[in-house]
Amino acid sequence: MIPAVALIAGVVLGLVLEPQVPVWLQPYLPIAVVAALDAVFGGIRARLDGLFDAKVFVVSFTSNVLVAALIVFLGDHLGVGAQLSTGVVVVLGIRIFGNAAAIRRHLFRA
Amino acid sequence: MTRRQPKHRPKLGGMAVSLLNELLNGTVDQGYLKAAERRAAGTPAPHRRRRQAGIAVGLVLVGLLFGVAFRQTRARAPESERAKLALIHDIEQRTRTSDELERRVGDLAAQVARERDAALAASSEGNREVAALRAAERRDGLAPVRGPGVLVTVGDAQPRQQTDPVSGQPLILPPDENGRISDRDLQAVVNGLWAAGGEAISVDGRRLTPTSTIREAGNAILVDFFPVTSPYQVEVIGHPDLLLPRFVDSRVGQQFQTYVGAYQIEFDVRRADVITLSAATGTDLKYAFSLPVPTPTPASGASGTAAPTPTAPTGRPPAVSTPGMPSPGGTR
Repeated sequence: MIPAVALIAGVVLGLVLEPQVPVWLQPYLPIAVVAALDAVFGGIRARLDGLFDAKVFVVSFTSNVLVAALIVFLGDHLGVGAQLSTGVVVVLGIRIFGNAAAIRRHLFRA
Repeated sequence: MTRRQPKHRPKLGGMAVSLLNELLNGTVDQGYLKAAERRAAGTPAPHRRRRQAGIAVGLVLVGLLFGVAFRQTRARAPESERAKLALIHDIEQRTRTSDELERRVGDLAAQVARERDAALAASSEGNREVAALRAAERRDGLAPVRGPGVLVTVGDAQPRQQTDPVSGQPLILPPDENGRISDRDLQAVVNGLWAAGGEAISVDGRRLTPTSTIREAGNAILVDFFPVTSPYQVEVIGHPDLLLPRFVDSRVGQQFQTYVGAYQIEFDVRRADVITLSAATGTDLKYAFSLPVPTPTPASGASGTAAPTPTAPTGRPPAVSTPGMPSPGGTR
């Protein structure tokens, strides 16, 4: 209950407050979203597995977002930004799929 | 629940485990496993309240990120898309303005007609004039009319369907160029209807006047510069029992029935008991002559026109001509 409320509150805050994202940060926003999705699915899966740990969740979310953004940032400066973004998205996408599949197995036993 | 995990976990140093395998199966974050191990080892878990606060803070951050990203993506919609939307908005607005102005023109014209009728109704001669004027207006499309008539529908041929010889997929081809109604076809229909005894005609709701035009620009047909689209609805007021057979048997009618067979165009003629045609809008007087006055005037030739007197050239302001010189007559 609390997590759902917190998530919705966060979305509403983001929509209502309209925080100004600095221009230099804008290219990393989409990749950060994918990383956050990965953390969320990982957390849900861990919760269903009975392994959930709040500290791990918060730390993994933060580090996921930062590392993903950092990789893309580095890639941008090395001239391989697009390729590295693709790599990050592929890896995170596979992880999201894996976690979603595990969640599905838990919920539907199928 | 936890017993399932080690199965997916790559063994430490197990080089046999491929990278892909690890990626596909080791989706549980190592951190969660480590934490679970620590808990199992007996390290006291943090307080429930603190845990929940941590989750809440984390999820608020996640939500915040989603919200901001959503806003950002919306704000960075492709430039072309935004330009297109702005153009569509502009077009709609102008169309609204134009419609409103047209309606005002209609209102004002009706008001002028009322005032005129009231002014003319004073005398019997005026009454006769009003009647003549009304008849003329009905003929010229300046007054709304209603009555029985005929509804003619003319439309382009439907797109052809064909099976693609390579992929076997159904293929939709654009209609044959011969099956497209051109401005000349529409002109022929309208002229045929006038010839068959139509008293008032409108095409797609645009009333035709004696000076109306049906023309083509690109692939669009314009009636008095307003675009109309296929199928074209031609509404005619006239005696249905005379109009319909005369039009169907006319050369144009016969021709179009042939076209239906040859090019699959749409062509339909049916009676209508009541047709209401609005007055033509956007008509303006192009030329206004004053009628020759019947009373004989003793003056010389230029009577009845507003021609300037022959002294006009000398009335030119002196600023344009050199002082002391006669102004040159035809150099300008």
